[in-house]
Amino acid sequence: MIRLPRVSKPVRVLLRKELRQFLRSRNALLTGLLLPALIMVVAPVVQLLAAAGGSAMRGQATLPAGVPGMAGLTRLDELFLYVTFPLFFVLGGLMTPALAATHTVISERERRSIELLVALPVSVKDILTAKTAANLLVAAATLLPLFVIDATVVLLLTHAGVLYVMAALVLVLCALTASIGISLLLALVARDFRTANNLNGFFVVPTMIMTGLCVTLVPGLWRFLVLSLLMLALGGLAYLIAVRWLTFERYLT
Amino acid sequence: MQPVATALAFRSVTKRFRNGRVALADVTWSVARGSRTCLLGPNGAGKSTSIRILEGALRPSAGSAELLGEPVDGPGYAAARLRTGIVPQGPGMYTDLTAREFLRIAADLYGCRPDRAIEAFGLRDHLRTRLAELSGGFQRRVVLAAALVAEPELLLLDEPTVGLDPKASHEVHEYLRQMMASRTVLLCTHNLAEAEALCDDVIILREGRVVVQGRLNDLRRGARSRLRLAAHQGPQAVVARLNGFGPVRVDGDRVLLEVADPEREAPRVLRALMDAGLDVYECTPQQASLEEVFLEAVG
Repeated sequence: MIRLPRVSKPVRVLLRKELRQFLRSRNALLTGLLLPALIMVVAPVVQLLAAAGGSAMRGQATLPAGVPGMAGLTRLDELFLYVTFPLFFVLGGLMTPALAATHTVISERERRSIELLVALPVSVKDILTAKTAANLLVAAATLLPLFVIDATVVLLLTHAGVLYVMAALVLVLCALTASIGISLLLALVARDFRTANNLNGFFVVPTMIMTGLCVTLVPGLWRFLVLSLLMLALGGLAYLIAVRWLTFERYLT
Repeated sequence: MQPVATALAFRSVTKRFRNGRVALADVTWSVARGSRTCLLGPNGAGKSTSIRILEGALRPSAGSAELLGEPVDGPGYAAARLRTGIVPQGPGMYTDLTAREFLRIAADLYGCRPDRAIEAFGLRDHLRTRLAELSGGFQRRVVLAAALVAEPELLLLDEPTVGLDPKASHEVHEYLRQMMASRTVLLCTHNLAEAEALCDDVIILREGRVVVQGRLNDLRRGARSRLRLAAHQGPQAVVARLNGFGPVRVDGDRVLLEVADPEREAPRVLRALMDAGLDVYECTPQQASLEEVFLEAVG
């Protein structure tokens, strides 16, 4: 029988509070659902429909020769599946929890209600664990159904098989895992919404460049594996910076 | 659970932040079980850092701090924390949680029910109101109720009336008087009248160091005490007859004479003034106020 890690009582109580507050925040719900829906479903599905349907873009793709990541990609839908889709999956996996973190962490800090929490018998670690877990749950609850839509469309409209879908799912899950470290870093560094947005940008731009390089240089499904590992490394690095260098004390100082 | 004589203790505690600022410098103080102590000091003296360390939110850079006999970074701290209620300084209020929901969270964390605290602070009719929509006085009641929900033996109050209007402050003081009885209390405040009214012991911090610690009455006695004198002939006539008794100061139509023991000196001074033909209508021994003790300590 699989034993799940034991969650402490303070974290459980705070997690319920965070989820309740998230569901009551119209702004959080709107940004938490709308942006992921655009990134994860609207953009990729429109691309696949264009490639499969009567679009002028239909047919053979003209790709630069000698680029390892592009080798063997002759059709437009393959170009989307192997070049642009990984970008969407990484963006969706990283951005959705980061957006949720902006709401759960920054609003608490800006209105100084964090003082109420710290006065209760909980540690700063409990507070941040509950917030990060809430962000992750919200992101997973948003992204996974959206991914199921993607997977269905991919299986119906393209030649990509179950292996592609599995590889893409691993990438989304790794991006979600990486978001734990990034959300924690965001919680410790950002004191207001502007800083939080700047920090999100700070992570997104290099991540996109890294993803772009990866899809250009790594062939076939290997790019999903390499990207997944890079996501875990990025998340691990962010987590280490947050816990070892910044420390939880920073949340209150 | 073994009773502890010292409820709170800072032993050679230094707190240095990452930017190099030293908030506490080798600070040692303690609060005896059952005492009501105020922690005073100007801004930046280290009061809030001390409370943060006791909350477990900050760790000392050196030295050790104890809460109910348990080191704040030790394994027994979490249990000690469940026996401690904390009222934070001017917290922000949730716009998306009602008073009931917040008190339920507090009660769940302490492992008890919120009903007694709700009744004690008269919150029954306001439970469905969101915290941010309550008046300042009721918001503070909710915060007090959360701190006292588990009937803690130790209460840490960080500026409990800051930002409240006089009526709400008075109301909170009434609650505090009731709640502080039979508990160990550390009151961190800028309001000297509040400290004087609610506490028996005092610790004064300045620039991260303890400059005064002791019983309030002892400190008053140790500080310069005075006799307040008034005569129909006016203050200048009184001053003229007080030569040799001690330093004097005119305060309106009164004269303040500094003496070591006002109660013992009063008959001698009074006799001298009456012998000089002055119609004395006031001769009152005055102990130094906490404000005077404080100003003398912090300069």
